[in-house]
Amino acid sequence: MGSSTEEKVVAVILVGGPTKGTRFRPLSLNIPKPLFPIAGQPMVHHPISACKRIPNLAQVYLVGFYEEREFALYVSAISNELKVPVRYLKEDKPHGSAGGLYHFRNLIMEDNPSHIFLLNCDVCCSFPLPEMLESHRKHGGIGTLLVIKVSPESANQFGELVADPVTNELLHYTEKPETFVSDRINCGVYVFTPEIFTAIRDVSTQRNDTVTLRRVSSYEALQPATRIPADFVRLDQDILSPLAGKKQLYTYETMDFWEQIKSPGMSLRCSELYLSQFRLTSPQVLASGDGTKSAIVIGDVYIHPSAKVHPTAKIGPNVSISANARVGPGVRLISCIILDDVEIMENAVVTNAIVGWKSSIGRWSRVQAEGVYNAKLGVTILGESVAVEDEVVVTSSIVLPNKTLNVSVQDEIIL
Amino acid sequence: MKALILVGGLGTRLRPLTFSMPKPLVDFGNKPMILHQIEALKAAGVTEVVLAINHQQPEVMLNFVKEYEKKLEMKITFSQETEPLGTAGPLALARDKLIDESGKPFFVLNSDVICEYPLLEMIKFHKNHGAEATIMVTKVNDPSKYGVVVMEEEAATEEEEEEARVKSFVEKPKHFVGDKINAGIYLLNPSVLDRIQLRRTSIEKEIFPKIASEKKLYAMVLPGFWMDIGQPKDYLTGQRMYLDYLRKNAPGELLVSGDGIIGNVMADETAVIGDRCLIGPDVVIGAGCVIESGVRLFGCTVMRGARIKEHACVSDSIVGWDSTVGSWARVADITVLGKDVHVADAEVIQMSVKPEIVQKV
Repeated sequence: MGSSTEEKVVAVILVGGPTKGTRFRPLSLNIPKPLFPIAGQPMVHHPISACKRIPNLAQVYLVGFYEEREFALYVSAISNELKVPVRYLKEDKPHGSAGGLYHFRNLIMEDNPSHIFLLNCDVCCSFPLPEMLESHRKHGGIGTLLVIKVSPESANQFGELVADPVTNELLHYTEKPETFVSDRINCGVYVFTPEIFTAIRDVSTQRNDTVTLRRVSSYEALQPATRIPADFVRLDQDILSPLAGKKQLYTYETMDFWEQIKSPGMSLRCSELYLSQFRLTSPQVLASGDGTKSAIVIGDVYIHPSAKVHPTAKIGPNVSISANARVGPGVRLISCIILDDVEIMENAVVTNAIVGWKSSIGRWSRVQAEGVYNAKLGVTILGESVAVEDEVVVTSSIVLPNKTLNVSVQDEIIL
Repeated sequence: MKALILVGGLGTRLRPLTFSMPKPLVDFGNKPMILHQIEALKAAGVTEVVLAINHQQPEVMLNFVKEYEKKLEMKITFSQETEPLGTAGPLALARDKLIDESGKPFFVLNSDVICEYPLLEMIKFHKNHGAEATIMVTKVNDPSKYGVVVMEEEAATEEEEEEARVKSFVEKPKHFVGDKINAGIYLLNPSVLDRIQLRRTSIEKEIFPKIASEKKLYAMVLPGFWMDIGQPKDYLTGQRMYLDYLRKNAPGELLVSGDGIIGNVMADETAVIGDRCLIGPDVVIGAGCVIESGVRLFGCTVMRGARIKEHACVSDSIVGWDSTVGSWARVADITVLGKDVHVADAEVIQMSVKPEIVQKV
C-alpha cells in the first residue's frame, strides 16, 4: 500500500544569506557560500542530490536571503541535471531557522506533502534521508532529528541532546551548553510532518523570555526584549528544547561521517569526505591516470572535464580541480581545492590549500599548510586572482583577492 | 719563497660540513678551499708552505698534503701549536721553517679568505716601498664588522693614497674611521719574526701597530673581490663573487650554455643534469652529481656525489657530499646539509627546510 500520489515529500534546504557565512571569507567574498565547490560540486548540490533518493520527492526549496539572481542560474541548471524541481525562495528578512520554514508554509503545503525534510546546506554528511523517513513513520510524532555521537570535548560546540535508547524519543535538548550534557549532537537534518507549522505558530504567539543560566555578554544584555520579532523562530531554542520529552520528537542516529562547513579549511575536509563517498557511490566521477596519457592520480581526485593537467603532474590524494584550470608539468598537488581558471606552472607544489579563482601559481613555488582543518591558519587560502610569483613559498596564510606575492610569507593574513 | 697558512681550528661555523671534512678541504668552487691558496702561492713563486694548525690532522688531510706535494712539486709541512698562540704566535713557532739564508720575505695567509690573490703584484709593491711588512686591505661596505686599517692621511695624490702607509688598526669601530679592512694576506720580512715572542700574541693588536708606528707597515688595496668564507652565508656570497671573477677571466671554467642554464654556473664534467631544469645563476655542481629533471637550483652549492631529485628546488643553500634532496622538496634560506643527508620527497608533506643545520643522525 502507500499510494504514491498521497505520500508526497518536500525538502527545504536553508542556505542562509550574506550576513551568514562570514566565517567563510575570503572565499565567500566572491560567491555565496552554498555555491562554493566541495568535491567538484557546489556545496548545496550534495544535500540536493541526497534528496533525490527520497521516494516520492515532489519539490526541493532552497530558502535563504541572498538575492534571487545569485541562485537563478544554478537552480535551473540543477533542476535539469538531476531531474528534480528545485526552486529558490528569498526571505524578505531573516526569520530564524524555523521561521523561514513557516514563512513559506503555503508554498510548501501546495503539494500536500505528508512529510517535510529540513536540511542545513552547510552540513556535510551521508544524508540517510530515506532511512530517516522510515524511522520517523514508525515513531509518529511531529519530527525526527538526525543525530551523531561526537567526542565529549567537542560536544558543547553544538546542540547536545539526550535520547531514549529504546524508543529513540528526544528527551532533552540544549544548545551549546556550558557543562557536559551528552555526546550526542544535533546534525541539522530533520524530517517533520505538517504539524510542525502549528508548533511554530504556537511558539511565536506565546514567546517567553526565560532567564538563562548561561552568562550573557553586555551586548546581549542590552538588547531589548522586543528586538526579537514575533516571526523570528529558532528551531533549536524555540521548538526542540520545549518539545523534548513530550513524545513529539524522535532521533535517528547516523554512524557515518558528519561535519559542518563553517570555515574555508573545513571545506577541504568535507571535500575529502565527499570524494571518498564518490569512490563508493559513483566512482566514474573520480579521475584516474598513471602518468602515461594523463597525470598520475593517487587516491580520490576530481578533475573537471575542461581542466588541463599535464601528464607529468602528480595529483592526489584529496584534490579537486575545477573548470578551465591548467596544471603544468611536474606539478604536485596534495589535499587541495583548485578553483576555476587557476594556472599552476611547472614543478609547483600545492598542499593543504585552497587556490582561488583565476589565481596563478608560479614555477617551483609552494602553497602549503599543515592541514589542521579547523585551525585559523591550518589551511592556506588564496582568494580570487592571487598571483604567487616563481619560487615563492606561501605557508599557513590567508591571502585576500588580487594580491601578488613576490616574497615568501608564513603565518600571515595578507590584506 | 715560503708561506705560512693559518689553518686554525675546527671550523665550527661551517658545521655540519666540518663534521665530515677538515675545513681546509671543504670544497669551494669544486676545489678544496686550501688548494685555491696553495696554487696561488705556487704561481707567485712559493716553493714551501707551512700549515699552522692547532690540533692533530685527520688522515684525509695528511693524504691531501702528500698528494699535492707531489703534484705541485712543493714542500708542504705542518706546524702544530700545543697551546693557543693567537694570530701571531704561530709565526714564531714556525720560525725555523720560514727563515732561510735568502732573507726573502714570506707570505702569511688566513685560510678562510678567498680573492684573486695578486701575490706577484704584492711582492713588487713590498719591494718598491721598502716595507718591513705589507698587508693586503680590501674596501667593504660594512667595515665595523671587521678590523679597520686606517691609512696615513698625508697621501698627496689619488694614486699615492692607494699605496699609503698604515697609520693604525681599529677593531670593529663604532664610528666610521675608514672603509678598508685587513684582508688577511701579509708579506713579511724575516725581521718581523724577531718582534714576535712564542706566546699568545695578536698580530693586529700588538705586532702590526708597532711596525706601523715605525712607519714600516704598508697596505696594498686588493683589486677584485674578497670574502671570508668561513660561514655559510658568506661562503655563498663568496661563491657568487668567485663565479663572476671566473666569467671575466676564465669563462671556460663555467657552464655557459645549455638549456636551462642561466648566469654563472660551474659544473663538474661528470655531473648529469636532467631536462626542464632551471640552473643558476651562481650555482656550483660537484663531480658525479645527478640533477634530475624539473629541478631549480639558485645561488647554491651541490657537493660531490649529491643527488637532487625531480622537481625539487634548492636556493641559497649548501647540499653536502653524497646527500639527496627528495622530489618536490624545497631547501632554502642558508640551509646546510652535511655529508650523506637525505631530505625526503615532498610526498611526506615537507615544509620548507628551516635555516638550521641539518645533520645526518
